[in-house]
Amino acid sequence: MENRKLIDFKVFLNGIWRENPILFIMLGLCPVLAVSSSVKDALGMGISVIFILTGSNLVISLIRKIVPNHVRIPVFIVVIATFVTITDYILAAYSPQIHKNLGVYLPLIVVNCIILGRAEGFASKNNVFNSILDGLGMGIGFTLIIFIISSVREILGNGTFMGKLILGENFKPFLIMIMPPGAFLVIGILIALKQKLEKGKKKC
Amino acid sequence: MKKRDIITGILVITFISALSGYLLAHVYNKTKPKIEEVKKVEEEKLNREIFPDGFKFEEKEINGVKYLSVLNENGEEIGKIFEVKTMGYGGYITLKIGLDKENKIKRIKIKEHNETPGLGSKITQDSFLKQFIGKTKDDIYLKKDKTDEKIDAITGATISSRAIVEGVRKLLEKIENGK
Amino acid sequence: MLNETNLFFIFLSAFLINNILLIRFLGLCSFIGISTNIKSSIGMGIAVVFVTVMACSLSWAVYNFLLAPFHLEYLRTTTFILTIASFVQFEEMIIRKKLPALYRAFGIYLPLITTNCAILASAFLGIDYKLSFIQNLFFSFGISAGYCFVIIVFATIREEIEIAPIPESFKGVPIAFILAALMSLAFLGFKGLFKL
Repeated sequence: MENRKLIDFKVFLNGIWRENPILFIMLGLCPVLAVSSSVKDALGMGISVIFILTGSNLVISLIRKIVPNHVRIPVFIVVIATFVTITDYILAAYSPQIHKNLGVYLPLIVVNCIILGRAEGFASKNNVFNSILDGLGMGIGFTLIIFIISSVREILGNGTFMGKLILGENFKPFLIMIMPPGAFLVIGILIALKQKLEKGKKKC
Repeated sequence: MKKRDIITGILVITFISALSGYLLAHVYNKTKPKIEEVKKVEEEKLNREIFPDGFKFEEKEINGVKYLSVLNENGEEIGKIFEVKTMGYGGYITLKIGLDKENKIKRIKIKEHNETPGLGSKITQDSFLKQFIGKTKDDIYLKKDKTDEKIDAITGATISSRAIVEGVRKLLEKIENGK
Repeated sequence: MLNETNLFFIFLSAFLINNILLIRFLGLCSFIGISTNIKSSIGMGIAVVFVTVMACSLSWAVYNFLLAPFHLEYLRTTTFILTIASFVQFEEMIIRKKLPALYRAFGIYLPLITTNCAILASAFLGIDYKLSFIQNLFFSFGISAGYCFVIIVFATIREEIEIAPIPESFKGVPIAFILAALMSLAFLGFKGLFKL
């Protein structure tokens, strides 16, 4: 796996579909379900994750050769926590509404398995350019899924999209979609769909 | 060889942590003024929404309870704003209750809450809050709790609605009795 | 405004009403992975309770005695996660040496717990809700007990479901989520338990 080209764009695409963090590796579920009742919040979370993931991948890839093996996990954690805290304060200052809506789920990105997983599994073994691409790819893949889930939940559960009423005044929303059970339902169906797609491919 | 590893390990971690701490202190100091400004602006915005013709808002206290006295250009008090905390579905809800000169409700605004997005969060909407305007404490009950009474809860968010009702009514009771 | 007499309420609210898994969506990664097997679920559940209560108490102390007095609140994310990680590491070493039988039972789950968002979240929430030490103790116990309870019940149901006729694409994880949806629905019913 170390025989990668200097800048390998396949790495980027990998994060979006083939190894999409949520659908395939099933990582980082908690924030997905928690903030996906509103598209705006979901995008806020997605963008934060892209920033944190790419940033920490970058730094970890930069220092990968000087960090001794037995302390790498604490070092990764400190790096990730730093990026998370920076994001926390920047959002609080410049997008207070989103910061309020993300709430406790923002600092929780620190233990989001995706970020630690990529730091350990990719950034510590690849060069800076590819690590950046991996961070971007995985982050965008994550954001894509959380966008889909939140769209379904907000449209069906609230009749709105990004806060704007789109199904008309008379639409009676399926309240359950906005509540926790709705989140589990949507992601269960999504993963079932993905498994069905995979099965179809295998038949070929 | 093992001892040297431990020492390098500790050095690396200390260095990285120190770097991280320095960076964070920097970001914190840079964003702190902005964050406080944001809070102040929001607070003022809420006050103005409750009393658009308020000229000055002064902090006062009566019987140990703090409130904002709303003054017009002539310095006369045209109302009061009280901040009340009540326990909702997802934690505390902070309300701003504006009372006019006769201590009747002028307007209510939600300052902070942790209610469910899309459900309990609807307590911030005027369509719910305007039901309180002009009512006295005896009118402030949910239709569910006292059938001839006046406040409609938000569908699917009874607990959040009730929290607001209780918070408002308790304030009015306190004013009637305490003052 | 939360006083000592509300300890029972704090516990119940964390355990049932705002259940960490089914209502707050925290701790899901390990939950889905481990709940396929009842034995592992019990092991994980107990480990979570133990680590959560201790780590949250520690974090509470660190925040209130170390960070806050020196206005270093912005370091809480980093310090909390490092506290939890170190605690788990330390714990693992002690248990492996002193109680090897116990280690064999649930020691392997300990490292997994470090990335369990439920624990970090409990630490944060204890501070956000401005709880006292005792309240925080009951709160973290409630949260972790809620996790333990749900994961064991879930595993029991999942083992039954393995033999049921489910459409191919739903087998495995998707049906687990549908199940979680149903359980979550049931837990939502607890919300009306306390009329405050």
